[in-house]
Amino acid sequence: MGEDGTDRYEKIDFLGEGQFATVYKAKDKKTNKIVAVKKIKLGSRTEAADGINRTALREIKLLQELSHKHIIGLLDVFGHKSNVSLVFDFMETDLEVVIRDSSLIMTAPHIKSYVLQTLLGLEYLHAHWVLHRDMKPNNLLINEGGVLKIGDFGLARFFGSPSRPYSHQVVTRWYRCPELLFGARAYGEGVDIWAVGCIIAELLIRAPFLPGESDLDQINRIFQVLGTPTEAEWPDMKCLPDFIVFKEFPRQSLKDIFTAASDDLLEVLNSMLSLNPSKRCTATQALQMSYFSNKPAPTLSHLLPFPKSNKIIDKEKEAKMPSLKRKQESSDSVSLKKRLVF
Amino acid sequence: MAGNFWASSHYQQWILDRQDLYRERHNDLTVITEEEYQKIIMLFANVIQALGEQLKFRQQVIATATIYFKRFYARNSLKCIDPWLMAPTCAFLASKVEEFGVISNSRLMTACQSIVKNKFGHAFSGEYPYRTQHVLECEFYLLEMMDCCLIMYHPYRPLVKFCADLNAEADLLPVAWKMVNDSLRTDAPLLYPPYLIALACLHLAAIVKQKDIKGWCAELNVDIDKCMDVTKMMVSLYEMWKTYDEKKEIQAILAKMPKPSLSRPPSEATIQDNSQQQQPNQQQMSSGVS
Repeated sequence: MGEDGTDRYEKIDFLGEGQFATVYKAKDKKTNKIVAVKKIKLGSRTEAADGINRTALREIKLLQELSHKHIIGLLDVFGHKSNVSLVFDFMETDLEVVIRDSSLIMTAPHIKSYVLQTLLGLEYLHAHWVLHRDMKPNNLLINEGGVLKIGDFGLARFFGSPSRPYSHQVVTRWYRCPELLFGARAYGEGVDIWAVGCIIAELLIRAPFLPGESDLDQINRIFQVLGTPTEAEWPDMKCLPDFIVFKEFPRQSLKDIFTAASDDLLEVLNSMLSLNPSKRCTATQALQMSYFSNKPAPTLSHLLPFPKSNKIIDKEKEAKMPSLKRKQESSDSVSLKKRLVF
Repeated sequence: MAGNFWASSHYQQWILDRQDLYRERHNDLTVITEEEYQKIIMLFANVIQALGEQLKFRQQVIATATIYFKRFYARNSLKCIDPWLMAPTCAFLASKVEEFGVISNSRLMTACQSIVKNKFGHAFSGEYPYRTQHVLECEFYLLEMMDCCLIMYHPYRPLVKFCADLNAEADLLPVAWKMVNDSLRTDAPLLYPPYLIALACLHLAAIVKQKDIKGWCAELNVDIDKCMDVTKMMVSLYEMWKTYDEKKEIQAILAKMPKPSLSRPPSEATIQDNSQQQQPNQQQMSSGVS
């Protein structure tokens, strides 16, 4: 870390711009390694008066404590005054690009590999008492060797100690679990696990599984598919701050929705998409399910299919690394536009 | 703070040994004595405590801020950045890292002005000279000097667990808790892991309260020598406090404190009360702010 950052990193390419930061591909002249430099925008005057950007600070403080094959590596921090830049491992693409590239064929071993890598990273995070709170394909970054790493810790926080109530305005809407939609202020690993369930579903159908257009529509879609929970299934549901009574939908069989999925994968999915968070599996429990020990074996990282263009659907200048979509509102509007393409 | 202490930057990078401390400190110690040095660091621990109380911080945020302050001066001379500026900067950064809601900079600066005037008049005469912009600049140096290691583990949590195990929440916990607060006035947080500091304070509390915890201690699997080191640091702190009157002595010590040279930008310059040569600097600063 130092102020020499501007000299040390040679800009190669512009990767993207988001609400909080601009990301460049750059060469580290000291190590000759290709890196991603995320330059935090100074923003408005009120933001500037807040000093080092809080989102950046969250990424710095957490990533400094974490080191795992499937977690993005923070290599350096440099800057001057409140104008901070973060240097990350350079990641070629992300899972969203892979899912949306219709020229790629996704086989069962491929899916198993992506799910396995995601869960290994998440298991490590949760073991260190960190909630990611923004799990989505766009934040699952993939390097040229096909290794998947969880990125974007701008919403992440520690959990498990008594503390101030958490915000329920986390996780991009399509991946947001029922308890968050009902305004829960105390929650746990379940919020990340639900999101992984949605990601697995998205890998299977190659389109967002529950693309709600509003928070209300989101929970409506969830219940339409998974059925409205009964008192017996989720007794505490009605205690949540924003709970409202929904029409009683019957539960659909996941087998009918994901016709190509094997039974052992459906077992994983069923557990992750439990409406009652206390019935959802943990990352560790998921990894012990038979899906991961049954055949076929997951594809080795370097043999995974790779998108031809690592640019996300051209016009949208979405950065691969790390994701810039942070505010649900902004990301939704972008994603919704994208959806119309389908 | 949750997480894995043994894999943390706190344990792996920021448990220093005495040599580390003296390597950086020996320059300052050519100007002031070791005891004077400790008294200065103690003063600013008090400043941070008062600031935190004014801003209604939780004790955890105050403890984090105090250790940030110690970490900075473990690697830098006192003349590097004026501690009167570093103290609020540490409080500001800690409030953000500990996710303690938003403390606006203007509230922070108002709190500084008010505590300097009302509580530390014995140490600082005149108006508090620094402004928001100085804190923001200083914040980055602080982050840099700590190598971006921001997560801090404190003795409070292990202490509560030990006391629960001992069934001593009512008698020992309050005494030991205050001693943990006092440990922030020593070098112990830089030298020993939090659970050892918690044990040492518990041990001392048991002596004060004349409660026999020998049986419980006998089953511990810890390095008793290290625990005793912390106990000794605490005892010598209390010995010192018997005769030390900060209000009377601190001004003379601060006058001796190494200060930045005048060629530095105003934000890094110290503005010490009665040193005349610094007067122009102070004016330069306030004009720079307006």
